[in-house]
This record gives sequence, structure tokens and C-alpha cells, in this order.
Amino acid sequence: AQANEGLHTQLLKKHTQNKPAEKLLFFSFCSFMCLSYIQDAMLRKQWKRAAEFLTFYIESLEKDFSTEYMGAEILCHRFHNNMKEFSSFIEQMKTLGVKRYLKVSVCLEHAFHLLCNGQIDEAYQNLSLAESWRFGEQTAIQDKEMKLIQAYRGLLDYYSWSKQKNILLEHDLSVEQEMHGCFRKAAMNLKEIIKIPGVWDLFVKCYVDLLEFYGDYSEAREVLNEYAYNSKFPANPNAHVYLYQFLKRHGESKKSLLSALKILHDIVPSHELMIDFHIMLQKSKKRKKRRLGLEVIFAVLDYAGWKENVKAWSCLARQVKQIVISEKHLDWIKQEWDPRRDWWPAFHFSRYSAKRNWQENESLSYEKALVAGILLGKDSKYFKYVSHRGCKAQVKRFRILKKFLNKHNPVYLRLSGLSDSSVQP
Amino acid sequence: MPSLPAGSWVPSVTPQDILYRGDSCTSQPLPVLPTQLSHFFVDHPEDAFGSLGKLLHQNFYLGDSKLRVSVHSGLPPCSGCPRKNLVPRLRWFSHLARDWLFEVPLGLLADCVHEDLLLQWASLLFDDSPTGGALAWLPPKDVGARTGRLVYPGGQAMNHLCILPHGVALRRGGGGREGVPYFVGVRSDYHCGVWRVPGRTGAAPTPLQVIRTSVPASCLTVSPHLPGELAVCTQSGAVYLWSVETGLQRLRHDPQTMFFRDHSPWRWSDFTAHPRVLSCADRTGLQCLDTRVSPGGCHFDLFKVGEEAGCQQGERVVLPMYLGRAYPSQHLVTTQFSVYVLDERLPLVPVLKWAHMMKAPPLFAHLTPGGPGRSHKVLLGASRTQELLLLQYRGEKRGALGPPCWGSQSACQLVGTPQKLHSVSSCLQHLPAQLPHRHRLLQQRLSAPAAGGCPAPPGGLGVLGRGQDVSWKVLVPEEAECPQEPSANPQPSPAAALRYRRWLKAFSKVCGQPPRHTRPPTFGQKRLFTRKELEEPSAPSALQGQARRWLRQAMRDGGCLQRWDPPPSALPEPPEPAEDPDPLSARLTASWCGDWDGWWEGRMSSSLAQRQRALRERRRRQKRARGRRSLSASFTSSLTYQSELSELSDPDTAPPPRREASPPLGTSPPAAATPPSPEEALLSSQSLRSRGIPKERRKTLRDYLAVWADGPPEPPELPGSQASQLCIPSSQSQLSSASQPRRKRPRMGF
Repeated sequence: AQANEGLHTQLLKKHTQNKPAEKLLFFSFCSFMCLSYIQDAMLRKQWKRAAEFLTFYIESLEKDFSTEYMGAEILCHRFHNNMKEFSSFIEQMKTLGVKRYLKVSVCLEHAFHLLCNGQIDEAYQNLSLAESWRFGEQTAIQDKEMKLIQAYRGLLDYYSWSKQKNILLEHDLSVEQEMHGCFRKAAMNLKEIIKIPGVWDLFVKCYVDLLEFYGDYSEAREVLNEYAYNSKFPANPNAHVYLYQFLKRHGESKKSLLSALKILHDIVPSHELMIDFHIMLQKSKKRKKRRLGLEVIFAVLDYAGWKENVKAWSCLARQVKQIVISEKHLDWIKQEWDPRRDWWPAFHFSRYSAKRNWQENESLSYEKALVAGILLGKDSKYFKYVSHRGCKAQVKRFRILKKFLNKHNPVYLRLSGLSDSSVQP
Repeated sequence: MPSLPAGSWVPSVTPQDILYRGDSCTSQPLPVLPTQLSHFFVDHPEDAFGSLGKLLHQNFYLGDSKLRVSVHSGLPPCSGCPRKNLVPRLRWFSHLARDWLFEVPLGLLADCVHEDLLLQWASLLFDDSPTGGALAWLPPKDVGARTGRLVYPGGQAMNHLCILPHGVALRRGGGGREGVPYFVGVRSDYHCGVWRVPGRTGAAPTPLQVIRTSVPASCLTVSPHLPGELAVCTQSGAVYLWSVETGLQRLRHDPQTMFFRDHSPWRWSDFTAHPRVLSCADRTGLQCLDTRVSPGGCHFDLFKVGEEAGCQQGERVVLPMYLGRAYPSQHLVTTQFSVYVLDERLPLVPVLKWAHMMKAPPLFAHLTPGGPGRSHKVLLGASRTQELLLLQYRGEKRGALGPPCWGSQSACQLVGTPQKLHSVSSCLQHLPAQLPHRHRLLQQRLSAPAAGGCPAPPGGLGVLGRGQDVSWKVLVPEEAECPQEPSANPQPSPAAALRYRRWLKAFSKVCGQPPRHTRPPTFGQKRLFTRKELEEPSAPSALQGQARRWLRQAMRDGGCLQRWDPPPSALPEPPEPAEDPDPLSARLTASWCGDWDGWWEGRMSSSLAQRQRALRERRRRQKRARGRRSLSASFTSSLTYQSELSELSDPDTAPPPRREASPPLGTSPPAAATPPSPEEALLSSQSLRSRGIPKERRKTLRDYLAVWADGPPEPPELPGSQASQLCIPSSQSQLSSASQPRRKRPRMGF
């Protein structure tokens, strides 16, 4: 294989110097081989070997999209201390990449690399330079990429703005002028990109932060509303989260908060804000809202990620207990429980999980045992195991729990529909 | 009629077997044959003359030398012609087939062979059957126990699970669940099984259930949430949730691909963060299906090959995987070019994309979740090229459930660059020098396509070669942050070298006894016909009794049995004399009636008309052949038809008897709206089965009878659906999908 590599690079070198048309096919074969050697060397982390191949390959750059990326990656690892060499290589790449799109992506890549190395000013310069290039006619793609470059420049502006903001907050008023300049540049650039449909979480957050600082709430709200509700944008749960957080910060009415969370619940029923949503609904006096609260907390616990979340289980346990004590709205529980009857016992209330929960988290097993006892009766595996262990360990609340369930056992019978024999305790 | 099946006892098909045997696949004109032959004689004298010499040796008496009956040269018998071992098998095959092979119409035979070649060629180009990998690691359940278990198919035809004999060829061992015990899903082409492997090491695994599908199953995944739940997909586009307790639930049945038209019948399904929501994939993307609502009711798109994900032209989904053990809502999707990480909560927009730069598409992936604050490792493996790639990635913090967002939670990103691991075949250079023929065998064995791979802690890695029960362990360096340049060919550690040598010893012992391996498995009657089919009906019918009496009578008298009066309802009408019977049948009919002389006279006189007819017939056949060639020239059309046609007649899967104590009965065809005519009744698979004719033979018989009934079949003139109702309950038909007007969505982009 090594002999082959040498041969191919020799051939490639020869042919790049003098490229007759009839040898084009052979040339492309050689460059293909060379590309595969580069890839192989990269994946094996043999950066020196990869860089050698790349120098041979660099001449035939103009065709391949991924090359400039590979180059950056290789050089980033090869010369990780030597930034100058890296920059000169990048400049070489830029002059080689005739087409503009290539230049643009090289620039972005370069800027990211500079940022990773903490050279923010250089990165900023780089982006401004890229913005100033003009080559040929502008296509739609170029236009979009230009917007992206501007947005990242705006992000860097925001960065310096927030740095100056911290200085300002330490009562050094001298930076105010400069800070305002940064704000204007950042706001202008960020505003442009978030008009294009897409996922712009980072840019939106920064832009809203800028607007909020200067008290332009109506504009900020408009931006967030547009980002959340414009149907051209992909359904992005974060948009609703930002809107909710904004509304909450500004002390908006409960109704608007609830409606924002309701939409989030419809998109992502497993979102962590659903606990807040449930608690807010619980506090409400309206029956319908409390009903929704039960639905929300049941839906949250459907997801594997919430399986062992004490907070969620205690929310459910509290509401279920309330309903059982008041003996009103038992049908709510029944309606939620019926579609879950066939899989929740195996998912949540198996003997194995009882054992594990008891070992790892006692209060989790308490909350779950309460729910299991109400939904599956006091003969369910989970409840039996946990209450047995709890009473043995002489923990008071487990004894109270047992008494509570003995008292309310008829509830289980009503939930299971009495005649329904399909339940497996 | 398929070609000989590929297995470890027959060298698997190579591109050279299908293409002409030139030096490469380039389309150069063939050199002149004599030149080529002379080159061959000079370059490979042993291959050219050795085998023949060896075959004839025992029959020659050369001068004064002593006559020896058996030949034992100093070299092991593996040397010489590599196809030598095939000779007895071919002879044996011709012995088996000589009774009926001539009955198969040549055109039909050629079609079937062509079709089989196309299938084999397709599987050479890209074989998706080992998707998902066939190697699983079950970590030990007991804390402190250090020995986990590897689950993999073994045996010559990959027909054993670990050391447990099981009668099907295995494709995939699905992983287990965090709880006790493990559930292992086992998939072969037409059977899926689930095993229960107790958590304690040493306890015997038990088979729980087996289902049989009429269309090959392409996917079987085990639920990470609920014990005894699996997802099954078949190549007809059906997705099932299979619960050991409640049986099968069909979630979708759509032979068409989801987002745009693609010919591949491959389907995949996996689980998501919600135990009642399954993801379902084909080559064009992924959707999530809710099992709680009616089929086709509620679903959302998770990934679409197209512009949203920044896909390239021609990019297709190769392997989706649920990354639930790392993050509850993330999925991995690999294509030929890239690796994507998707989040269910923010569908369609990948949270991570990386060009993996592998030469062959990754067919199996394995996730090793890192602890809190550490990166997760994903092992990607390609089958044919044995490539192994190790990715490390980190997403949002474990336990946090918010969508990926910036700020407090970190974005999903790769940690370091992906690393290529050494392939199995690259260890060849570290093995001691071998005799050339043994070296070749070794090379062949080591470069067999990988069938699966999984990390086996601590720091180990298992790779399973297809067709052989070889399992390798390679040490994976943790956190490849090494300052010095690793050399291109690192020497193996002494321990590894020792292991190499030990393996080599075992290998040479095995290949030292070729007769045991080269013996073909025998296809006895017992295998072709099940015992039930061979069984006599319990009470002989009146007709049979009568026939027996007649037969005995005739034998006693020494006469011949002339009369045969069956009740008209039981046997078909004698075939109507076709307007244009072929000479053989006309002659047979004539001689049956005792009018052979008359037939001969008539034939002599009508030879002119006969010739004209023959000419016309030939022209028609040529025309048909031209049409067919243009249909099956595109590869894709002849690949999809099988499942599509068979699903028209057969229900897709049959709910199985538990444990499959008795051999499974075939699914019965759907009842026709009108009572079938006698001919159709004869041709129906039920009546054929009741006559004890196995499924493989039914079609041949049916075609043969169809020739009798209404002349040569002309597929292009029949509408596809009608033709399929007439003659296929089984999944073999040579109709191409082009005759089916079912595709309605146009192909768009990508």
C-alpha cells in the first residue's frame, strides 16, 4: 500500500505540472486516490502523512467541496501551535478557491478556528474581509451565505457589546459610546438573518437581549412571536421556550403564560417546563385547567427520560392523592389510566424497578408506590415490595402510606372498573 | 431456479463470477481467446493442467511405475483448482435435476437464471441484509462479575445462536434491555424469534416465540423500554409492533417509500423516547408512528433526505439507530456519505452532521454511553470493506430534558476527530509467513465481510466476520489524545501476537481437513417434503381404493391398465386441444390414442404449414424477449417485484403458534369472491398443498399446467394484477414491476 501511495503521488505531481487533456481521466483517477489517502490518514489521525498528501492534492482543489474543510482540520491538528503557518495555508487556499462559495466557507471555517484559539479580533477581521469580497454575479445561495457571515459578525459584535456592558455596569461610563456602536452593528446584522426561515436560536437570543437592554420590549416581543408562530419556520420548541421566558420576565398575565406553555406541550410533551406548567395548572381554580394538569403530568411520565424523576412523580402523586381524598373526578384518573393500563405496569411498576428505585432513591420509590397503590391496588408488585421494605426499615411515611391505601382501596376497584379482569396486579 | 446458495462451503459470489473473468470491471473488449488461453497456460499451469491430471491420474498406468489407486501428494488438497471441490456437487446436482430440468421451458429458465444473477449482482454491490449487525454484547448483570456474554450467529450457514442449535439462518442478534433478563431478537429471512436470556451468567436462554413472514423481514429491534416488545419490518413495507404477550400489531402497510420514490424494499423500525411511539424508516427518511392510534393515523416526520438536512444528490438512509442510552430523544441516522444526529423534539433539522468518509456505507452501529460529563462513543462498521470508525460525541447534559439550546446547555458536538480502527484483514501482515495456498485461504477468510461489531468492555471490541464464527478483540485506546505521531503499522503487542498464533494454529487445523467441510449438505426427500406432506391421508378415498383395486387386478392378470374413469369433479377436464399444439404434445396425444401412424403421415404432409407456424412463433418470441430485456435492463425494476406481488395474495405474516411446536402451516390465500373454476381450483395453492406438492414446486407445476391449459403464457398481454391472482401465491414470479400501474407519486429531487 505504501508503494502504491508513493506511486500515485508521484504521478499526481507529474500531471499537475503539465496537464494535457487526454490525461485528464488518469489525472482524476490519481487525485481520487490521493483524496482517499488523505481521508484514510485523517481517520487514522496521521496528520503528518495527511498534510503531505494534501500539498500534492491542493492543486486540484477547485472541484471538491470538502477539501478546504479537511485542510483546516488537518492543519489545525498538524500545526496546533503555529498559527502563522496555518494562516498562510488558509490564504493559499483562499487564492486557490476561485469560486466564491468556496471562499466564503473557507472564511467561516477559518473564523471558527480562530475563535477556538481565542483570537476573536482576527476572526472578526476575517469575517469583515470575506464580506467585502465581490466575485461575479451574486446568486441566491451566495446571498444567504453572505447573510450568515454577517450574522456571525453580528454575533462577535454582540460579544464585544456584552463585554462593554459588564464594564458599564461597574460604573465606568466611558465605554458607553463605543458600546452603542457595537449595539447598532450587531442589531443590524442579527436582524437580517432572523428574517430568513431557519433555526436561529443563538442569534434570536442575542438580538432579544440587545433589545431588552435598551427597553425596546415591543420589538423584542414581535421578534419572538414571529420566530415562534411564523409557519415558514421549522417547528422549533425553543422558540416557544424563549417566548415563555420573555413573558415571564416581564410579568405577563398568567393566561398568556399558560397559552405559550400549552403550545409547547402540544409540540414537546416531554419538555422540562411541563413541570412548571403542571404546577401552574394545579393552582388554578378552574376544573378544566386542573384536568389539563393531570393530562400534562401523565404525558410527561410516558417518556423514558422522566422515568426516574422524583419531581414529576411527586407532582403526579400529589394530584392523584388529592383526587382520591376528595373522591371527586375519579373519572379523570380513569380516563388517563385506561390507555396506559397495558404498558405502564411493565414500564414503571415492575418488581425490578421497585428493587432498583428502593436502592437508589427512597423518596422516588415512595412517590411511585403511592401512585402504584392507587392505580394498581395494594397487591401490585411495586407497592408490595416498596411498602414491605419501607415498613421493615421502620420509615414512618411508608406505614402511613399503607394505612392510606387500605382506607382507600375501593378507589382502585372503581378505577379498574370492577368487572375489568384484564388488569394484571 | 436459484444458483447454488452461497455459504461457507461454497466460495461466495465475486464480481468476477458474474462479469467475464477479466482483470477488472472495466469494459474493455475481450482479447482474442487463443492469446488469453496461452497466457493462462503459461501463468497458471497448475490450474490449467493440474486438476485434470489429478482426476485422470488414477486411471492411467504410466510405464513401469507402480499402480496406485488413491492419490496423496505432499501438498494439502487445497492447492490446485479452487473449483475442484465443486465438481462432485455439480454432478450431484445434475443427478437431482435431470428428471425435471428438461421440462422447464428454456425461456423461463433463462429468465430465472437472469433474475437470480441480477439479485446476486445487487447484493454484491450493496447487501443490506446484515443491516444492524449480528453481534451483541450482554454486559453482566451482577455487580462485580466481569464476564459478559457475546451473542452472535455461528455455524457454517450462520444457523446457530451462540452454541444453541436453532434451525434458521441468523441475520441479527438484537440487544438487550437494562433490566433482568435480556431479550434477544433473532432475524432470518422468513423467521423472527425472540429469546429470553437470564441475567445470571450460565443460566440457559429460552426461546419465547417465533413468527414466520411471507416476505423477508428486514428489521427486528428489541424495545429498550418494555420487556418482550419488538419492532418488526418486512420488505413489503409493513411495520409491526410485536409483543410476546399480545402478539402482532400492524402499524403501517405501505409498499411505497415515504417521501419520494425509491426502489429499495428495505424498511427499518426502532423505538423512541416514548415507548408507544416507533420510528419507521426507509431509504428516503424516518417517520415516527404512534401505536396508540389507528394505523396511518398519527405520525410526524423525523428525517427527510433532502434540502433541510443538507443532503447530497443520491444520498439514502442506510442505518437509523435510537440513541436512547445516551440521550432519551436522540437518533442516529447514517447515509452513504454522512452521519446525522437528530432530536425527536426538533425534527427534520439535524443537530449534528459529519461526513464519515467511509468507503462503504456503515451497516452496523453500536453505542457505548459514557458516564456523566463524558463523551458517548459510537462505533460504525461497514460490512464489505470491514471499515470500523469510532466517533465520540457529546450533547446536552445528561438528565436535562430541554431541547438542545445554547447557554447553560451545550450543543451537540463531536469530541475530537473520528478514528478509523484497524480492520480484521489488516492483521494478515502480522501473522507469520505461510505457504502460498494457505496464505490465500487465510486472506480469503480474513477479508470476509464483517457481519457485526460491538464494543465489549473493558476497552475491547468484537468483530464478527460473516460466514465464519471468528470473533476478534482489539484494544481501543481511550481518549486518543496522543502527542506523538502513531506509526502507520503499529506492531501488535506480544499478547496479541500470541493470540494471533494460537488462532492460526486452530485455523490450519481446520483447513487441514477439507473433506469434512467440502461435503455438501444433502437435500433429502425429507427436507423437500415435510413429514406432514408425505403422510398418507388417514382414510383412503373411494376413488383411491378403486384405483388400487384396479391396479392389483391388472398386476395379477399381467395385463395393462387401460381404463381410468375418474369422477369428473375431482380431476380436470382433459385439456382442450390447443389451436397450435407443440409437436411433442401432439405426438404424445396421438400415441396415447394409438394413432401414432396417422400423426406421422399428417406431419409429413403438413410440414410446410408447420414451418411457417414455427417461423411466426419464433418471431413472436423474439419480440417478447426484446420487450422483456428493456424491462429488466434497469436493475431496480426486477428487484422490487417479489414482495409487491406476493403481498397481493398472501397476508403478510401469520400469527404463530407459541413455541412453534408443530411445523407452521402456510397462510391460506384470501377467499375469492366468486367460486373458482375447476382449472383455477386445481391451480390454487390449497389444492396443490393438499396433494402434497411443496411450495417450491407448485409454481413449476402450475406453469406447466398452464401451458397445457391455454397455450404458452404471454405475460405482457395480461394485466399484472390478474396474472398474479392466477398464478402466484408463492413469492416467485418473473413479472416485472413495470407492469404494475401502482406508482403514483412522481420522483422528486434526490
